[in-house]
Amino acid sequence: MIEKKTLDLDALALRIKREMLPGQLVSVGSGLPNAIGKRLSYDPHAWLIDEDGELTPTTFSSDSFGNKHGSSFHSISDVAAMMHGGHVDIAIVEAGEVTASGDMVSVSTHSTTGLEAPGWSVDLLNNSKRVIAVAKHFNDKGESVLKDKCSVAPDGIACVDMIITDIAVLDIIDNRFILKELAEGWSVDELTTIQGIPIEIAPSLTNITFGSEAKGEISKVYDTGISAMSDLPDGATVMIDGFAGPGGMPHYLLVSLRDHGATGLTIIGNTAGIARVVNFGTPSGQQAIDHTLLIDNGQVSKAVASYPVSPSASRPTAFELAYRRGDVELELVPQGTLAERLRSGGSGISAFFTPTGVGTLIAEGKESRVINGKEYILEKGLRADFCLIRGYKADKLGNVIYKGTSRNFNPVMAPAADVTIVEVDEVVEVGDLDPDEIVTPGIYIDRIVIRPTDFSPYE
Amino acid sequence: MPAKKVYASAENALADVCSGATLLIGGVSLNGIPNTLIKAIAEKDISGLVCVFSPCADYNDQPITVLDPLIEKGQIARLITAFPFYRNRGGLLESQWNSGDLSIEVIPQGILAEKLRAGGAGLGGVFAPVGVGTSLSNRYETQYIDGEQCLYLEALRGDFALIGAQRADDLGNLIYKGRARNWGPVMAMAANITIAEVRDICEVGDLDPELIVTPGIFVNRLIKSIEP
Repeated sequence: MIEKKTLDLDALALRIKREMLPGQLVSVGSGLPNAIGKRLSYDPHAWLIDEDGELTPTTFSSDSFGNKHGSSFHSISDVAAMMHGGHVDIAIVEAGEVTASGDMVSVSTHSTTGLEAPGWSVDLLNNSKRVIAVAKHFNDKGESVLKDKCSVAPDGIACVDMIITDIAVLDIIDNRFILKELAEGWSVDELTTIQGIPIEIAPSLTNITFGSEAKGEISKVYDTGISAMSDLPDGATVMIDGFAGPGGMPHYLLVSLRDHGATGLTIIGNTAGIARVVNFGTPSGQQAIDHTLLIDNGQVSKAVASYPVSPSASRPTAFELAYRRGDVELELVPQGTLAERLRSGGSGISAFFTPTGVGTLIAEGKESRVINGKEYILEKGLRADFCLIRGYKADKLGNVIYKGTSRNFNPVMAPAADVTIVEVDEVVEVGDLDPDEIVTPGIYIDRIVIRPTDFSPYE
Repeated sequence: MPAKKVYASAENALADVCSGATLLIGGVSLNGIPNTLIKAIAEKDISGLVCVFSPCADYNDQPITVLDPLIEKGQIARLITAFPFYRNRGGLLESQWNSGDLSIEVIPQGILAEKLRAGGAGLGGVFAPVGVGTSLSNRYETQYIDGEQCLYLEALRGDFALIGAQRADDLGNLIYKGRARNWGPVMAMAANITIAEVRDICEVGDLDPELIVTPGIFVNRLIKSIEP
């Protein structure tokens, strides 16, 4: 008789690794996923986020203090933003019950009868790009994790894509369990008989296989600004950071975007280019590079901004002049509301009630609500196709630190765009940045461009 | 002169915490737990507390005992958490819940974080498409935003936040160490009075401005930790 094998934690980690792609963010919540996460080496790197807020590249090595190179630490609200914002590519969640329609009761909820306490599972199951349920296939009473229906209200509806147990790997497709792989020593009949609910057998059924590591380099570092935005299309929405001075503005990427030439752009930013007329900190006789480059080049059709006009009527901004000519549209947003709308866009918040703007023109046409005696208006999250930000240093994984007030809108914009490009002074090795110091983690940075040493932010 | 934030003891820092107060208590797993402050609460003659405390982690099946000194004295009337205990392994907390001496309100971890964050950021509440179709849909107001069904998560605030951090300066600027950051930054914003216990209090200027996570404007009182 062949010995019936079951997968241990190392084997489960090896099997899950086959599902991962380089650069993906994988959540490893409490219980079994956490134990698997500790064994999940993967090269080139993917990211693991745990329930404590530690974000770690799978390729990490530790220094003599136990710091993991490339890791960073995040508050629970920042972890919630990762999850709700749809940034998790693969959620690994321990299942108490899974149905063929992909409904799931997490082990957390399952083990808290009467309270149904989900921990992180609701957040993960409902907002991740892909959900892999992991479980012991049969519990101590011999009951299977696969069910025809859940015994309590599920933590997620139609959310599970794949189930990996210590015995089997199943896909969930069109409300069916499809058995793809089986541990050595188990026969299909055994599994389905014990199971007692319908399971389809994939024609390609094999023993559980463990792929080799996905070797190969992935690089986020681009040679030039223009090469980092070659796929930025006409009509794109682009976030651009910056205040009235040169700090925090991605000057080199602004020049690159002008040279790239995309038109019909909607730009989202605190200003629509006032550095040139304000000239804070600009050497005399020179002009700061700002959004004006794009306006003058006829590339902008709309701005979403809090401060698009010059503080001096005699020196209007290029955007102001274009607006008066009727060439551009403007959506005016109070500065704090803009920050909150961006934070929402990156955090999976569709809309929020803010007291800012109540009773003013800003409130016109917006839903309002009195909450605990105070009036609020409804504002919506804001996202973009591309985001151009200005960091100080990045490591090769895209972890970014800023310098002084140049931090401003950058950290809140970075998670709110599909493609975020950072302009930095320097790219350092993974491990050169202190995990406690990293502000924007690499999961939010898609491309890195080094500002050329001879580049001047002034013209 | 700015008001002095450094208190000689936890007892002094907690002097005005009274019965019925809502306490936001930081910490996940065993990291960032304000043990000194928790023990000092247990020394006070107060009850009817509402505690927001959500360690929500793998305890290797061990019950969470951090709040036991308060539970033992019957000080907690209601606990708001994402994960209180595994059934039949919940120790004192579970037995008080079973006997009805203490009620537990369960809120998923990320939703709890967003409710507190909204409270800290001055928002009335937020709409998010989280957990629609699950049992949460019955417990929360739902509304369509741009065609997508969302849950309404009303802002949550506390009277006091008790948090643990690594280091503070005299002005209350805080830095955290590693995983101990967890609830600190969000809870510090979401309470009327935030009390931080830290390993070490340094002079203003000793903390690198780039490394400060919670600025002193969110921290009202500081004590030095005398518990591990």
